Amino acid sequence: MDVLSQLQRQLADFLASLYREGFVDDQFTQLQKLQDESSPDFVMEVVSLFFEDCEKLVNNMAKVLEQQVVDFKQVDSHVHQLKGSSSSIGAARIRNVCIAFKTFCEAQNREGCLRCLQQVNHEHAQLKANLQSLFTLERQIVAAGGSVPAMQ
Amino acid sequence: MMQGNIWISLNPLGSAQSMTLVLRFQIRPSYGRATFAPGTSSEQPSSNPQFRGLRVILADDDALNRTVTKKLLEKLGCEVTAVSSGFECLSALSSAENSVRLVVLDIQLPEMHGFEVATRIRKVRSRSWPLLK
Repeated sequence: MDVLSQLQRQLADFLASLYREGFVDDQFTQLQKLQDESSPDFVMEVVSLFFEDCEKLVNNMAKVLEQQVVDFKQVDSHVHQLKGSSSSIGAARIRNVCIAFKTFCEAQNREGCLRCLQQVNHEHAQLKANLQSLFTLERQIVAAGGSVPAMQ
Repeated sequence: MMQGNIWISLNPLGSAQSMTLVLRFQIRPSYGRATFAPGTSSEQPSSNPQFRGLRVILADDDALNRTVTKKLLEKLGCEVTAVSSGFECLSALSSAENSVRLVVLDIQLPEMHGFEVATRIRKVRSRSWPLLK
């Protein structure tokens, strides 16, 4: 197998594992389908936007949660935003944490919220690392003369 | 397509589901999800003839949602002006005169709520239009 085929095989396998393990879902596929010659870095740009968003929201949530009296409505609104944007890019695990997170906000459970926040951080880091690997593989494929197919 | 009408679709909180909401309305049953078929050529084969050249104003204060929705609409062949507030939306509409056919609004816009934007637009444009939820 030549280098290009090997890389493409690696990419396909890696992508399949990301779906299988629930890191990304169908919305991520839709995002990839939106990428084209006029916007070859579309997915990466959107994903970067998401991670920036996520960090900002997590910092805000942490600040609110460390107050003497926690404004759970505020936390909830941040979680809601994170849930929305994670859904938009297909970040399934993060979205799922947000669902649980919202329940703790409604129950005004600070400990539960803090646990979820930790989980969000964890998932954020994992997804970031995974997508970095994905983009690196894609770049290698393009450099080897190939093109990146959309996931079927 | 409704010639000469403005369609306003309220995009609740910018979730992915609401994007589909806009499209479902426009798409005849036979298309279904086919509009998301991968288009690899630069011809944009996935663009729906109904959407080609359709001028759209997209109002959403969330940069991520705005980016994704804009790309989605462009992929369908629309000509999109993306703004991030109700005020910008209204001024974009007034400068576009009568050529804008579709306005996609996030219901939670800073300073001016989506409904208020819709009301103001209605006052300015006398032709009737349906409101989609």
